[in-house]
Amino acid sequence: MLTSITTVVERRTVFSADGATIPFEAGWAAEAVFFVQAEAGHPELRLTVEISPDGLAWTPHSETRVLTTSATLAAVSASHFGTWIRLRIDGASHSQPVTLLVHLTLKG
Amino acid sequence: MQKVISYERGLEKFRPLDDVVVYDDFDRGFNGWLDLTPNFVNEGFSQQPSRIDLGSWGPVMISNAPMRLAASSGSMEGNYSLRLATRGAAAPYEEQPAPGSMSVAIKRLSGVDPQARYIQIEAWYSYTVSQDRIGVGENDVRAIGFFFDIQDEQHRWQPTIRYVSSANGKPVHRWQLGRVQEGVSRKDWCFGLDNGWEAPGIDAIWSGRRYADGSGDGFQWVDGGEQRLVFNESPDKLNWMYFRLLVDVQNREYVELQSMDQTFDLRGIAPTLAPPYEGITNLINPVFWVETDSDRVASMYLDSVVYSTARSLNREEVR
Repeated sequence: MLTSITTVVERRTVFSADGATIPFEAGWAAEAVFFVQAEAGHPELRLTVEISPDGLAWTPHSETRVLTTSATLAAVSASHFGTWIRLRIDGASHSQPVTLLVHLTLKG
Repeated sequence: MQKVISYERGLEKFRPLDDVVVYDDFDRGFNGWLDLTPNFVNEGFSQQPSRIDLGSWGPVMISNAPMRLAASSGSMEGNYSLRLATRGAAAPYEEQPAPGSMSVAIKRLSGVDPQARYIQIEAWYSYTVSQDRIGVGENDVRAIGFFFDIQDEQHRWQPTIRYVSSANGKPVHRWQLGRVQEGVSRKDWCFGLDNGWEAPGIDAIWSGRRYADGSGDGFQWVDGGEQRLVFNESPDKLNWMYFRLLVDVQNREYVELQSMDQTFDLRGIAPTLAPPYEGITNLINPVFWVETDSDRVASMYLDSVVYSTARSLNREEVR
């Protein structure tokens, strides 16, 4: 049986600029899925998995998914991500902030 | 039939009491340790009344402790530890903890032996900060600690041990225990909130007023409790250290704290007793936490944890 976990990397966090979720260590896992839920009235968001050798320097590692203004939930997945993983979230601004709930599901 | 009892070799590095309730090695996964979150039971799934954002603490993760310029530290045994990592900048020491400035890991248990007089937590652990700038970084860790959240038929109470590493960037390096100072009201304890969720003595890790020397309403210094933990000379070097707290649950008092090779006699000191809360009688929750003292991520790594109980002490086992 595989090990799996769902953790909450952003719990109702307000994004008012481009940003990213907290760096998360997942070296034990082989696959990852980020679930992004946005409160209503949010701007269009572009979601990209990023990976890192040290939790400090980051590079893109997935296709970019778009959470349209009418959608409330999007998922982005990744594999072969090494150890450090986070989700880049672009599109929020001071005039168009967004409150996000982001789950990360890992399995390996 | 002849029965043979054999123990896992990994227990050799612990000194458990008679009955081992929990032996968690994080090479085997999270073992039911998770982020401490508030009660999301109010309108809009909001938390109980508190000035602190109790849903903001950094999430725990299974770590092989990778570093900037060093190889992964792994853990004391095997590859993985449970890492508690802060996610936001600290407020000044004298203010209430800022959102994300702590990471808090809990496991939820309950009592099993009504005649058990002693409970004990042991852990092999390490701690550091992210190597995101030059320097050693020891003074960027505010505190690490442990508490039992206990509710018996009469009281909720939380024997708490806290190592203050630094306050506002100034080294402290002293152990504290949880015990509320005289005359502290609920309003004092809850940062001005009359109806705050936390009764004095409950959740001292983020409650009560704090002072620049590292002291606070919820804590008193452990007698002779100055100790330099092994932070090492660089934030990418982890040394595994031993921690043990022994509590007398029948007399509701501390018994003993051991940190590495030093043992502190705490007998006769009682944690503060609060009235019971609804729905949690017979709860025993062990909790570890780390708090940053700067804008830097502070991490605590737990290699393994043992929780054990006993009706009486065999002192040779304990010492």
